[in-house]
Amino acid sequence: MKEKALQVLLVEDNAGDARLLREMFSKERPDSFELTHLLRMSEAEIHLAKGEVDIVLLDMGLPDGHGLDTVRRAHAVAPGVPMIVLTGLDDEALAAEAMKEGAQDYLIKGQIENRALPRALRHAIERHRMQTETDLIRTHAMQFKDEFLSHVSHELRSPLTAVRQFVTILLDSLAGELNLEQREYLEIVLRNVNQLRSMINDLFEVTGVQAGKLSIELQCTSVSDAIAYTVSTLQGTAKVKGITLSSDIECRLPSVCADPTRVRQILLILVDNAIKFTPANGAVNVQARVLEENPNLLVLEVSDSGCGISPDMTERIFERLFQASDPALAGRKGLGLGLYICKELVTRQGGQICAKSAPGRGAVFSVTLPVFSLPNLIGPAFRKERRAEGPITLVVTEIRSRTGWLSNEVRTEQSHGVRDILQRCLYSDVDVLLPKMGSAGASELFFIVAITDGIGGKAITKRIREQLDDCEHFQQAGLTLSTSYRSLEAIKRNASESMETFLEKVANKIQELMNEEISSRMVRNEQ
Amino acid sequence: MSNKKILIVDDDPDVRHGMHVRLKANHYDTFFAADALTSMTEARKHEPDLIILDLGLPAGDGFVVMERLKAFASLAVIPVIVVSARDVRANRERALKAGAKAFLQKPVDDAELLAVIRQALGEPAQREEPEVYDLGSI
Repeated sequence: MKEKALQVLLVEDNAGDARLLREMFSKERPDSFELTHLLRMSEAEIHLAKGEVDIVLLDMGLPDGHGLDTVRRAHAVAPGVPMIVLTGLDDEALAAEAMKEGAQDYLIKGQIENRALPRALRHAIERHRMQTETDLIRTHAMQFKDEFLSHVSHELRSPLTAVRQFVTILLDSLAGELNLEQREYLEIVLRNVNQLRSMINDLFEVTGVQAGKLSIELQCTSVSDAIAYTVSTLQGTAKVKGITLSSDIECRLPSVCADPTRVRQILLILVDNAIKFTPANGAVNVQARVLEENPNLLVLEVSDSGCGISPDMTERIFERLFQASDPALAGRKGLGLGLYICKELVTRQGGQICAKSAPGRGAVFSVTLPVFSLPNLIGPAFRKERRAEGPITLVVTEIRSRTGWLSNEVRTEQSHGVRDILQRCLYSDVDVLLPKMGSAGASELFFIVAITDGIGGKAITKRIREQLDDCEHFQQAGLTLSTSYRSLEAIKRNASESMETFLEKVANKIQELMNEEISSRMVRNEQ
Repeated sequence: MSNKKILIVDDDPDVRHGMHVRLKANHYDTFFAADALTSMTEARKHEPDLIILDLGLPAGDGFVVMERLKAFASLAVIPVIVVSARDVRANRERALKAGAKAFLQKPVDDAELLAVIRQALGEPAQREEPEVYDLGSI
């Protein structure tokens, strides 16, 4: 079978080098290679875009392109075409860099042996083909895994729905009164159903993590509330195992900038795990305090008196699908996803997680989260803007439901949408969209601090209204949206005053204004 | 005042049964359909006040049902609540765009379902929403 001639593009501005290379090809069968020779990167880009080239021989020093830049440009126009770079004797390090950028191979000018060039070309093409094939197989495998997970979780959820429905029907005495023992057993069933449900959700959460799609809504979050919720939720589980579950919270603990449901999720995973690995009569404790070394961080600690973790495992436990090697210790096995999800949630909220332990002496899991601070949020804008002492505008956007009730469902779903829109509407790079600072009854409020004059406020609100009006989606969900703004008089900074003190003062004023907005809506919504 | 009518569309008989018990206890009258076709005939026959709709159905999925409901003026106004085991990320947005009032993930929390039903029917919300022990939805 006669093969089609390989289309080789040579990009080389040095006439001598080009001639040498041509000569090497001339020794091959005339129908095996077809060489196109160009002198400029710009010409090469045009030629590559036509899509007829099988392989590129690229000089890294061209009149209109140099070094790695040439490789990137060629790769950008024709990502599917294998490339061999040509370098001088002293450029080997650069050539290695080029390989990282996607070049298949490099040849050093003046050191190319006779007949080595065609072989190098064929090998490069073959390697490239194999690599593409591997990539494709990997993509297919990932796709298959996602589809499979989606299918499995769907099929598991349906029967679980019926089980949960009837258990709660019985527990709510809709089918007659229960005696104490019956109630106790049904509560065990419900607990296990919920466990199953959370495992199925974990499966999904993990696909989300891998696709980078975890939804997180940062706001001013009380850690004490999250701890209280976790302790009361898992108190029953601890009691069944005879474990003392307690918490120590430093008084006057500051809030953190995090998603409250995600903080609860983190704590639930950690405390649930601690209970799992602690034998009867043991203790699990949750602590929270400001980090001594860095007052901008708050640390949450979950400690237990369980079997501990061997030192070489303290990092590995956060890996996906990691499971304790001795299942007898853990009682019932989980999916091995909890700590992995936990780590993702912590890092996505700007924190860190680590485990400290000695075998047989319990384990301590520490999570850090950034302390919520309005001065910190607005600080960068004030430091950047020269007219920082000019007037400030507070823009308020409110989502309300026509029925006077917003389900949690709608709250989280819509607020992500609104947030995206607001982000796009920011008037200048010093405007700050604040995390969720509060909601008022049946409405959700969003605040933007704009360090511009009143005209800026008018411009932003106009822009937001236009964008929101274009969103049929909100109307379909039965929501109304409104936007207003208030100007704050300029706050003077005394000559002797530090920037920190000044920011504190501004933040207090902004907070005051926001509280007014929230409470005025509370009154209106109650009427 | 007569009870509000709710059409439950789900291909799983146990799920239909469970919803029926819960809704009856909350003074709603229920009707049933197990596939896309029957859901249309039942909707036309009873003109319910609300439809609870599963997405995975025989003979056309829940999206097809929502599309067909829109073709009848008398049915287009009925609020639809989607209750599905399908992936939230891939389907919630789509369901809301198709006109659903809410998307609830199976296994559904009955308290949440009732609250959403009341909201969709424009009934006053219950004063106290029970705080449900719920590891799953967080």
